[in-house]
Amino acid sequence: MHAERLVRAGEITEIVGRLSSGRTSLLVAALARATRAGAVAALVDVDDAFDAAGAARAGVDLARLLWVRCGRRRDHALRAADLLARCPGFGVVALDLGELAPRLPLTAGFRLRLAVRRSRVALVVLSSQRIAGAGAALAVETVQTGVDWTGPARATTRLARVRARVSVVRARVAPGPRAMDLEWWSEASA
Amino acid sequence: MVERGERVSAFACVVVPYFAAAALERVEPSLRERPLAAVTGTPPATRVIDANDPARAHGVHPGITEAEARARCPDLSARPLSDAVAAAARHALLDATLVISPRVEDAGGGVVHVDTHGLARLIGDAEAVGKRLVKEARAVGFTAMVGLAESRAAARVAARLGRPVTVIPPGRERAMLAPAPIVVLEPDPKIAAVLTQWGIRTVGDLATLPRAELSARLGAPGVRLHELACGEDRDLFTPYSPPPFYQDAQHVEWELTTLAQVAEVLTLVLERLCARLALRHLVADVVDLDLTLTTAEHHHVRVPFAYPLRDRPAMVTLALQAVESNPPRAAATALAVTAHPVRALPGQHGLWEPRLPASRDLATILTRLSTLVGADAVGSPLLVDSHRPDAVTLTTFALGAAAAATTDPPARRHAQLMLRRVRPPRPITVEADDAPRAVTWNGVRYGVTTAAGPWRLSGEWWDVTGWARDEWDVALADGTLCRVARDLRTGTWLLDGVYD
Repeated sequence: MHAERLVRAGEITEIVGRLSSGRTSLLVAALARATRAGAVAALVDVDDAFDAAGAARAGVDLARLLWVRCGRRRDHALRAADLLARCPGFGVVALDLGELAPRLPLTAGFRLRLAVRRSRVALVVLSSQRIAGAGAALAVETVQTGVDWTGPARATTRLARVRARVSVVRARVAPGPRAMDLEWWSEASA
Repeated sequence: MVERGERVSAFACVVVPYFAAAALERVEPSLRERPLAAVTGTPPATRVIDANDPARAHGVHPGITEAEARARCPDLSARPLSDAVAAAARHALLDATLVISPRVEDAGGGVVHVDTHGLARLIGDAEAVGKRLVKEARAVGFTAMVGLAESRAAARVAARLGRPVTVIPPGRERAMLAPAPIVVLEPDPKIAAVLTQWGIRTVGDLATLPRAELSARLGAPGVRLHELACGEDRDLFTPYSPPPFYQDAQHVEWELTTLAQVAEVLTLVLERLCARLALRHLVADVVDLDLTLTTAEHHHVRVPFAYPLRDRPAMVTLALQAVESNPPRAAATALAVTAHPVRALPGQHGLWEPRLPASRDLATILTRLSTLVGADAVGSPLLVDSHRPDAVTLTTFALGAAAAATTDPPARRHAQLMLRRVRPPRPITVEADDAPRAVTWNGVRYGVTTAAGPWRLSGEWWDVTGWARDEWDVALADGTLCRVARDLRTGTWLLDGVYD
């Protein structure tokens, strides 16, 4: 699943998966694509986990990124995402809910969907499980399929690559292939 | 390159008659058509320091007491002139002239000298420059008269000849100024009386007197007056540098007790400030309010804008929110506002580029986000020039910086694996021999299946902020990929982040 297929103006996309499955890398790739195209993006970061240096290496134009650090307050994060989703002009609004995703009421999901439709903002939600329900136009799940290391087998020196499979778990419209294998290279190898 | 024969000096003089009264009219425009006197002192011993034209028509002039002025003009409105209002008026007039030329000189009392050399190619002839100066002065609330000549002195006298714009062609200074009455030189009353006794009635009469004889009888003020009459400059041109802050103020005759009353006055002050900022193509990122209370105390409220702006309604709304959350302890009688200017976004956005949020929407969103999560938690990430891990800070998110940012980042061979950082790095327990074998956090032990490293990093060893660490990439038994580090100074193990 390429980053450009994740970002849909006026729609909600969900990226779910467990830790080390490459979901954050996929989200940052979407931010990089948006900012490189000249758009303004926002990242609502619940756990204050965003690695700015890594994002810059991934191609994110940091000057075009609004970073909202929520200090582990998920209620604040949902409120911030709701505000940003209603502001026309943002290319992508990313909501990184981390590991403990809150339960989102069905009505809240549809309200968010209505807001992004009006503002034509692409809302991308990252969490460990799906929260937007039918409000999401596309939901993908990332699963780690392999890890490669640099150095000799008995004395590896650095993490080299993570291989992951991205599968579509919900799509209101046909997204193209139902699954795709991706590779994410570490800082030392990319 | 100056060509042979080209004149290299040209000045305009902008004069606002009765400047103290004009400063009061600027903050209270309804007084323009009514007799107005600027007064100073403590009642009942207040004296008139300036008066506008309608008041002067009734015989009100500087120096008389307020009681006498009211006797001469029963409809007179008298207002005290505060330093803040006078300073704001002075800076507003200078700002207006800076729009025309970068070299202006503050001559005091509502008189500004403008170096107009080279403006012909930008604006037009001297008449056009004069009209433009009148227009810019009107934009900040003043009715100005402008004189243009080769010297500042001649321009200053020309500005007082009674016409909106008076242009003196090169070489005709003495001929054109000669018929003007001596009062246009604004002589000291004592010297004016002496000149009247001598039968000197016009500028031309004064210019014909021998300067040495005049110096012997009238001293330095007499010589200065003679130089003015001859249109000669003696003083060096002292360019004006705008102050780092923009200030304006308003005094009221009544007490401001409610938020609605404060809003009314705040709107007036910000309207004037925004007009001045607009002249210089600036926006404000912080506004400081200073309320003078009836208890003689001052109540300060700082209003930092999440996004620099010049939109008066939005500024009023945000400032009122700040006052509401930090209300004064007593009624206010005066309000002073200081705006911290920054450069506005120049130009317009490209037709084929993605659209950006409207400035006003973005300002509102950023303010709300700042209120929600804190002002220090909203902004644009800025990498610090350091090798220290996670060297990043937040800077103000601005559309100007976003629009100007490069769209051409370095090409990557592969997609970048991201690290989810743990902030601050969490101390963990690590069982290690040559390499980590198991890690424990939150009371749960995780076996390590693969450990890669160490990568030794250090920096700033010359300072107390020095750091040194060994980094390891580890794969846990449940498939999680982590970066752990051992602080070489303290020996503690830290969880730096999780690859994802």
